[in-house]
Amino acid sequence: MNVWLIASGVLLLALLPCGIAAFRGSPMERLLGLEMAGIVEVMFLVTFALAIHRENFVDLALAMALLTFGGGLVFARFLERWL
Amino acid sequence: MSAAEWAIDVLLLASLAVTVFSCIGLTFVKGFFNRLHYLAPVSSVSITLLLAAVIVHRGWGQAAIKVFLVWFVLLLNNAVLTHATARAARVRELGHWTPDPNEKIPGAGGNRE
Repeated sequence: MNVWLIASGVLLLALLPCGIAAFRGSPMERLLGLEMAGIVEVMFLVTFALAIHRENFVDLALAMALLTFGGGLVFARFLERWL
Repeated sequence: MSAAEWAIDVLLLASLAVTVFSCIGLTFVKGFFNRLHYLAPVSSVSITLLLAAVIVHRGWGQAAIKVFLVWFVLLLNNAVLTHATARAARVRELGHWTPDPNEKIPGAGGNRE
């Protein structure tokens, strides 16, 4: 077991508080949980790709980072006016 | 254990510590705008430490360049998304974004005139 695999396990555990935040409170507070989960997920994908020696899988982290950015903006915009 | 391995361990540990404490803070601190601050350490400090760990581990190769791109996107993400979320919360609460002339803004300056 290498250090990158341990790090990815810890990051998976760090998703738990984000999930708790995303399931309680006002809609805006839930959005914060979702945004944090997206960032932690990006870091998990980076560490896991290095843990299993598949550097190509870091592309998934890049795609996830871009999707988190776009998704967060869309949610913020909709919560601002329409939801 | 070589110096590079020690450096990787320390950088990863620091990155994980910042991430875990920020996640716990975001979950258990009261108030939306207080919680909003906890997004910043993860998408700036934590990902920078992770990038440093990857560079020490693999050198300037394919992985490091891709993680550098991830780092750049997350830095942009941090600034823009935090502003957009705060703006959305304020518009939801007050119906507008701009401050009122008599609005009391907490912090330095107090009442803005």
